[in-house]
Amino acid sequence: MLEIIQNYWLLLLIGEYPHGKLGGLAMTLIISFVSLIVTFPCAVLIALARTGKPGIIQSIANGFVHSVRAIPLLMLIFWAYFAVPMIIGFPIDAAFTLIVAIVIYQTAYLGEIIAAGITGLPKGQREAAAALGLGYVPTMFRIILPQAIFNVIPGIVNQLTTIIKESSLGSIIAVSELSYVMLQVNSNEVTKPLQIFGILAAVYFVLCFALSQATNWLERRISSRRTGQVVVEAVA
Amino acid sequence: MIEFQNVSKWFGALQVLRDVNATVAKGTTTVLCGPSGSGKSTLIRTVNRLEPIQKGKITLAGHDIYAKDIDVNVLRSGIGFVFQQFNLFPHLSVVENVMLPLLRIRKQSRAQARPVAMQMLERVGLADKAHSLPADISGGQSQRVAIARSLILKPEVLVLDEPTSALDPEMVGEVLKLLRELSADGITMMCVTHEMGFAREVADRIWFLRNGTLTFDAEPAEFFSDEAHQDVRNFLSAVRKNR
Repeated sequence: MLEIIQNYWLLLLIGEYPHGKLGGLAMTLIISFVSLIVTFPCAVLIALARTGKPGIIQSIANGFVHSVRAIPLLMLIFWAYFAVPMIIGFPIDAAFTLIVAIVIYQTAYLGEIIAAGITGLPKGQREAAAALGLGYVPTMFRIILPQAIFNVIPGIVNQLTTIIKESSLGSIIAVSELSYVMLQVNSNEVTKPLQIFGILAAVYFVLCFALSQATNWLERRISSRRTGQVVVEAVA
Repeated sequence: MIEFQNVSKWFGALQVLRDVNATVAKGTTTVLCGPSGSGKSTLIRTVNRLEPIQKGKITLAGHDIYAKDIDVNVLRSGIGFVFQQFNLFPHLSVVENVMLPLLRIRKQSRAQARPVAMQMLERVGLADKAHSLPADISGGQSQRVAIARSLILKPEVLVLDEPTSALDPEMVGEVLKLLRELSADGITMMCVTHEMGFAREVADRIWFLRNGTLTFDAEPAEFFSDEAHQDVRNFLSAVRKNR
């Protein structure tokens, strides 16, 4: 196993870069990070639509969430990879395809998490904002969302670990991320699949375990802050 | 100042307000009391349209609050509202809670809003808690912050929905003291409360509601006399017994 790491560590970390495309762990992290960054505002909009007044916007958001939740991510990736170039008339980068598919998929799930954070807040928070004369936008962006998102940080971080794991599906459409690179290593080494995929599993485990530990730390911090055990000096 | 004309309201099939007709004069304090479910809180929540009415008319300084040209947010910013459960924003410090209306409604800068908010906190005796989070202060202090926040835009009317009901007995005094001071300052106040001592001392008028109907509207002297409506005497007797 050590021999594999010694021979392929650079490939595992950055793929063929600088002689070829960036790949490996770096690509996995970039896909995951970019996906989360793009997903987040989309999910906030979906959550606002889902928790807002009934109407056409809410119906569209409901339809989007129910549709996406009813199909596998792999199908979404295939659809984006094969069907979208046919529709738009030119090929698109595989990594971009993967990010788009993950963003669409995770927007539905992350949107539901944030929506749960919004509906979980006491009704009095909205009423207090309304009684002060605050309109919808300041009420949501200054009062409701900061609290709702704060309360669902563990859920958001959990979705990040899911995104990291889902990025491995990029190997199917030849995105040079971590799993794809390890598949290449497996093709070279042929007789060591147990070790190679053991290393792959270990890397994913370390990434996701570190994130879940960070989540636990955040949960403890949130809990102590809300019970008033930590005095936070607010900047006014 | 505030006039209720045949105000009725239903929650589904249940009628919670029945043809309420009453007037709150400018600069006076009106206390609303009555048994649970009598419609006291619903009635005061109609004043700033937190609860819409289905029948009747409410005017504030002569303006119909349901008129088409009324901006509900402007209407609300002119009426201070204090909730039973304080409803402070837990992610903001005490001073930020008080500053918020100045920043978001008056569009003031932080540099402008901060001294005004600190002045208001000094008035309610909580300047030293300015940087605390709501989780770090007591119930009585939270309610005083909520009152400070409701007064920061200098509203002409202050509406309070059972401001002391969620407080421990030892905290009630500090809030009532502040309300006495506000009443003496001449703000127009409507207050739902079960604190009959406060009502007797501070109110200019006391309204008694039962099953959504305003059954008695009198000055404290008459309200606490044997001349009061039978419902009122029964209610006061029950309040005394439960003490």
